Amino acid sequence: MAPLLLCVPLCVLLLVLLGWPLVHLLNQSLLMTDAPTARITLHNYLEIATVPRYRHALFWSLELSLAVAVGSTIICLAPAWLFTRYQFRGKRLMRGILILPMTFAGMIVGFLMIILLGRTGFIPQLLERLTGHPFLSGVGYQFPGLILAYLYFEIPRATLTLESALRKLDGRLEQAARSLGANRWQVLRMVVLPVIRPALISTFAVTFSVSLGSFGVLLVLSIKRFTLLPLEIFTQYIAPPTNQGIAAAMSLTLLAVAFGTGYGLRRVARRMEGTNA
Amino acid sequence: MAVTVALMAVILLPLFVVVLGSCVNASLLGLSTDLWSGSRHDIFDFSAFGYIFENYGDWALFSLELALGCVAICLLVAVPAGYALARHPFPGSGLVEELVLLPLSLPGITLSMGLLAAYGELRGPLLVLAGHLLYTIPFMLRVVMATLRSFDVARLETAAQSLGASLPQRLYLVILPNLRHAMMVGSLLVFAVSWGEFNVSFLLNRGRPQTFPAVLYDTYTNQSIQVSSAATTIFLAIVIPAVIAIQWLGGRESSDMEQGA
Repeated sequence: MAPLLLCVPLCVLLLVLLGWPLVHLLNQSLLMTDAPTARITLHNYLEIATVPRYRHALFWSLELSLAVAVGSTIICLAPAWLFTRYQFRGKRLMRGILILPMTFAGMIVGFLMIILLGRTGFIPQLLERLTGHPFLSGVGYQFPGLILAYLYFEIPRATLTLESALRKLDGRLEQAARSLGANRWQVLRMVVLPVIRPALISTFAVTFSVSLGSFGVLLVLSIKRFTLLPLEIFTQYIAPPTNQGIAAAMSLTLLAVAFGTGYGLRRVARRMEGTNA
Repeated sequence: MAVTVALMAVILLPLFVVVLGSCVNASLLGLSTDLWSGSRHDIFDFSAFGYIFENYGDWALFSLELALGCVAICLLVAVPAGYALARHPFPGSGLVEELVLLPLSLPGITLSMGLLAAYGELRGPLLVLAGHLLYTIPFMLRVVMATLRSFDVARLETAAQSLGASLPQRLYLVILPNLRHAMMVGSLLVFAVSWGEFNVSFLLNRGRPQTFPAVLYDTYTNQSIQVSSAATTIFLAIVIPAVIAIQWLGGRESSDMEQGA
């Protein structure tokens, strides 16, 4: 009984800080307060589906997050593999560097992109010195810059998630396959890939949900005619004329997508792990 | 190896440029714009740092206090709960664990709007603290639970129990000393996450001072690249030692950083 009491402060905190606010948010998204009589309606949710601006924001968010999640999962396989399979000097330092962007707010990454690839950025000016032409100038403000920025802060998350999964992988499996005459490619395709598939899926889930909720990058880069759902929520909530109902509805849509994919994919990954074992 | 080195370069290059850009004369770096550096004559020019400290010193202080407050509350709340959840699971303890980790996969903007909807009149430092706690408690809890689930601690506690140690005695003499390492890593994580948090703090705060990442936003939108770089450099000067310390203290626990704020 006493151990249970130790848990009480945490549970109370969760109820107060998480449960109750989400109930309020749901309430806000369903109530139409500006109508003559306050009533419960799905109007705000319908608006997300019908107003082109909101709909595009949702789809762009999904597409960007999908691309970034796939990209970072694949790219970060390399460092994760390196860190779990090999012992070498400077490993901790390398890991430390890759983990560094973990605590950077998206906005900082946006600034770094401007510094590097903005109109007076470091790389364009360097290239102008070298070639006489400012190549890549202003790329930071465009779509490639956005993707690069998102990859930047997903690197630590993808690397760490993959690493902790790969550590469980038994290296003897590969050795056995090799000694039975499989070549590198066959080992990769028939031994490694099936075993690490759950890890890939859970890494995708983590990076996808983090990308989906981030808006700091776009807040700084502010690309014309392009918006993302979190930024849309931010402007609807902050900039007059505010529309708190629709902001709440978009917030909960985002929450449902982020949590739904995360939870669903983690379950799939767990089931795969179960059948492998 | 090649990919890893390339990734390191991608991460480090902009950071180098920022740090240099904050204090080195721009023309020496081969950069040709007033936005980069104010001084034309000196090689080093630290005036931007003075500007930040003068104008935003109390913001930095507020952020540091906030981060330390988060560390204190996380230690008080998450360590006992982590013990209960890891060593004495009860019906529903799995659910509690899931719920604690939930904010990590939720957009900050959603959580802040919820907090504002529920406690709008508290908007200000108190609500910022609440938002930060949602994002920092999971880190502390995971690190503590990972250690408590390891075989050794369980066996030690059972041994102590069989020798007649009561629960408070076991907590104080067996569990806490063995958790010291995890609590240190957890505190550093909590501190770093809180220091770097922007979205939640920005929405939940009112007036001044704001948290330090808001200084960055302020300078990015209103100031020259040199001043912005100086602010970013100060930001990095706090984060990098924390990350180094986390790496240095333990590789295993830091893999619990896998989901981020």
